[in-house]
Amino acid sequence: MKDTILLVDDEEGIRKVLSISLADSGYDVLTASNGEEALGIFRTRRPPLVLTDIKMPGMDGVELLRKIKQESPDTEVIMITGHGDMGLAIRSLQFDAADFVTKPINDEALEIALRRARERIWMRDKLREYTENLERLVTEKTRQLVESERLAAIGQTVAVLAHAIKNITGGLKGGMFVLEKGIERDDKQYLSQGWEMIKGNVDKIANLALDMLNYAKERIPDYRLWDPNRPVREVCELMRPRAEKCGVELEMDIDPDLPEIEFDLEGVHCCLTNLVTNAIDACVDVECSKQVKKVVVKSLQQDDGAVIYRVEDSGCGMDEATREKIFRMFVSSKGTKGTGLGLMITRKIVEEHGGTITCESQKGRGATFTIKLPPRGKSAAVSRARQCA
Amino acid sequence: MAKKVLVVDDELDIRVFMTTLLETSGYKPIAAEDGQQGLEFARKHMPALIIMDIMMPKESGIHMYRELKNDPGLKAIPVIIVSALSKKTFFHSQKVLDEYEGERVPEPAAYIEKPPEADELLDTIHQILG
Repeated sequence: MKDTILLVDDEEGIRKVLSISLADSGYDVLTASNGEEALGIFRTRRPPLVLTDIKMPGMDGVELLRKIKQESPDTEVIMITGHGDMGLAIRSLQFDAADFVTKPINDEALEIALRRARERIWMRDKLREYTENLERLVTEKTRQLVESERLAAIGQTVAVLAHAIKNITGGLKGGMFVLEKGIERDDKQYLSQGWEMIKGNVDKIANLALDMLNYAKERIPDYRLWDPNRPVREVCELMRPRAEKCGVELEMDIDPDLPEIEFDLEGVHCCLTNLVTNAIDACVDVECSKQVKKVVVKSLQQDDGAVIYRVEDSGCGMDEATREKIFRMFVSSKGTKGTGLGLMITRKIVEEHGGTITCESQKGRGATFTIKLPPRGKSAAVSRARQCA
Repeated sequence: MAKKVLVVDDELDIRVFMTTLLETSGYKPIAAEDGQQGLEFARKHMPALIIMDIMMPKESGIHMYRELKNDPGLKAIPVIIVSALSKKTFFHSQKVLDEYEGERVPEPAAYIEKPPEADELLDTIHQILG
């Protein structure tokens, strides 16, 4: 495509000669005899190049340059100067003129000035193109990455769920088999054993569904002032029969002087239940045949008013690799017995409170899970910010 | 007399299922909860076949299997492994342990991935016990 150039000069002779010479060099030439006319043409035609005399009656070249640059900074303006116009020429450079050529105009000098201006335009266009491409590329790649991570997460979720369900169906099928044998042979023992298996596996599936719902549920936490020891007492009472059945000593070590803080009772109850259940499971995991099977639930207060819950077990502990993974989606260290949802739910709730949950453990040395709940106010701000995000 | 089959699995569901399957197919099942008890019962009852899990507490299945196969009195007893562990993973672990311990432990008579199907398991048992 031909480049369009706007030629501005009050002298008709110069306009004529220059436009012939420019048209000859392959430009599409527009002409104007003064600044006002030039500005009008510029606004309708938007030429990328302007060649203007610096001294003109009315709006002079410098004023025209200033106006054009204001409206279209990318337009390249070359000034034509006469003898003694050096001051004006320098001013025009300050207003970002591309170049200036002196009268009488030397064709070669004009060509060089034009070529340089065109190069500047070209380079700027390229740069813009590259930048835009780069931005588009980054956006596109980011989108792809997020998408593939999302797909990977879904894939992992589905795989683990499928595995958990397969295990339960296996149990159900086994139960059906035993039950059928009981019916076939009219055998009371088979009947009751098969029935127990079916009941147990139905419970498992119900719990799995419940865990999933709990995680997915956008429950609005109900923050109120409570005694921080209340959920500890409740959970210990609730879990005691289970602990006893497993031969695990469940001990409560609470600070009776804790002030009331604002938290979501149901949420913290759920967290502590998960942690104590895990702790009991860890103790009975026969992989470590430890003599002492003990779970201690502690509550205490930090100087900054934060309440700390600590659940310690004397189980077999975890190595670093396991410790890193346990809060992630569906990572269970319980083999076929866990889905990995419990700790995820726990962390979600704790973080909603603006708190933190950490785990200290070494292989063979038991594990300690610590929940830290900040005094409310701070945590409210965090959870509000989170909802807005 | 009914042939004795030892079932070693830490999951109660699996033990009940397998012992029922064996009992109703004319075998005499003996159930053990972990590898340690499994070895103890194997020595005590000298079963015709052992069906065992791999991922078990105490004496893990992997070690129990190797101990069985290294015991002159027990190594002839055929073993079916029924595990949630994939077959590939198990055989790989055996290979690594073989190299590490500088011995060559024979492969199990059969390997079935959990959950076991009644027919598949029974077919395998019949094949091995004739």
